[in-house]
Amino acid sequence: MKIALAQIAPRLGALERNRDLHLEYMERARREKADLVVFPELSLTGYTLKDLAAEVALDPRTDPLFRKIMARSRGLSVVLGFMEEAAEEKGLFYNSVAFLSDGKILHVHRKVFLPTNGMFEEAKFFAQGRDLRTFPTPFGKAGLLICRDFLHYGASYVLYAGGADMIITVSAAPGRGVGGGEAFESSRMWELMGEAISSFSTAFVVYVNRVGSEDGVSFAGGSFVYGPDGRLLARAAYLDPEFRVLSLDLTAVREARTKRLFKRDEKPDIILRSLERVVRVPDD
Amino acid sequence: MSLMINAPFVEKVLTRFIRDELAKFGFKKGILGLSGGLDSSVCAALAARALGPANVLGLIMPCGDAFPADVRDAERVGRALGIRTKTIDIAPQVEAYFTAHRTKNRRLRGNKMARERMSILYDYSAREKALILGTSNKTELLIGYGTIHGDMACAINPMGDLYKTQVRQLARHLGLPASMIRKAPTAGLWPGQTDETEIGLTYAELDEILENIVEKGKSAADLVKTGFKPAAVRRVREMIRCSEFKRKMPPIAKLSPRSVGHDFLYPYDWGK
Repeated sequence: MKIALAQIAPRLGALERNRDLHLEYMERARREKADLVVFPELSLTGYTLKDLAAEVALDPRTDPLFRKIMARSRGLSVVLGFMEEAAEEKGLFYNSVAFLSDGKILHVHRKVFLPTNGMFEEAKFFAQGRDLRTFPTPFGKAGLLICRDFLHYGASYVLYAGGADMIITVSAAPGRGVGGGEAFESSRMWELMGEAISSFSTAFVVYVNRVGSEDGVSFAGGSFVYGPDGRLLARAAYLDPEFRVLSLDLTAVREARTKRLFKRDEKPDIILRSLERVVRVPDD
Repeated sequence: MSLMINAPFVEKVLTRFIRDELAKFGFKKGILGLSGGLDSSVCAALAARALGPANVLGLIMPCGDAFPADVRDAERVGRALGIRTKTIDIAPQVEAYFTAHRTKNRRLRGNKMARERMSILYDYSAREKALILGTSNKTELLIGYGTIHGDMACAINPMGDLYKTQVRQLARHLGLPASMIRKAPTAGLWPGQTDETEIGLTYAELDEILENIVEKGKSAADLVKTGFKPAAVRRVREMIRCSEFKRKMPPIAKLSPRSVGHDFLYPYDWGK
């Protein structure tokens, strides 16, 4: 299969403009024969929404703007970020990511870990997601995470235990630290996690971060794909927009799992029992 | 000192920032005050690289003939960068005011000058459709070494997260003359004033204390234990505490359920 990493800079609160940007990049993906195109976190709305969250939130099942993107996903799969307000949960705004395929929604993941410290204010404005799960796609089982979700490795573990062949993280990670090399120092943190998770879950790890700046904060870019053997397959530019298309050999998951037997020997039942005890009796 | 920066990468981030911000707000040109000192020269160099020299206007605003060497330095930087410059003497408007409202207080005079320069910058910003680039660095912002609504006033500030010692590193990378990097920094409020004598610490000492407090979260006691002078640490902490008002919008007396600044919270880049 061919995957396209759409490392874009959405415009804050400008839904129509961002929709057009998505349609444009989806066309480009189609032209370059990509099967799946992945956009960053909150790609439809921009990240630093604050009170704008209520104004740009939508129900993906009924919203005309979202449905237009869905309609254009015929013969293509698309992962995109948006602010979700479901009809049955009015007034709750979720930082969500959807997996669209061939005109249908296959899955919506709501961000579980909402950073709320220092420069981050997510839990002040957004409702918290409460579920992590894998779902079937045309490219095997996949799992979706949003930015900070990926830094809590238990989240990736659930997707791995759930049989994910591909863990897709969408991100709006700001760059911090300029004492290092040709990237923000914070970029290393994501790459480290990408390498570790792909190696030990023997699954593809796809990470798409945004670029551009909002309210003085620059987003770091540096989107990447690691193969199931923990090898870096592609990394997009730091800071600058990029549209990177690459081929993934899906048989690599089987190959990795026959060489390294972590998946076969995994014991989620023991992990679960132990976790239940930790949660029930934290001091145990 | 661990305040080393990767200057080429910082240049990359800041030139993109300047370009992006101007584009968001529909501007092609940037404007800034050129004092002949290091910070405004570095900012002008960044702006020239981000926008092209022809899109940068540096206003040189001496008060009479008080600092001829600084005016020459500012002109030299302008020429070297190939940006447009314009010299406006602020003495007539400053003297008109102080003739009517006499004072010998140098600080009052200095602050008034800084605010006259601000008012000229904003006027030229509108005349030239040019966005005002701020030149206050992180050291000054943290200790409040600037005139509120004067030299601190701007539309965007590319320099505000760089300590003075980091601005010097960036200046070297941007190829500014060594004489300018070595020059004693001054607010230019009165002849012979230098930042370091007025603050009572060198920038190297000051930045090291600030780094420990701000970046590493060290307490005053920690700092004294590691060998910093108690008086210096106390002084820096007091300067930070007493200048918080310069880093904030003024508090609004809350009356309604949804008030500006309290719970009417929109991003600066709303729709940009």
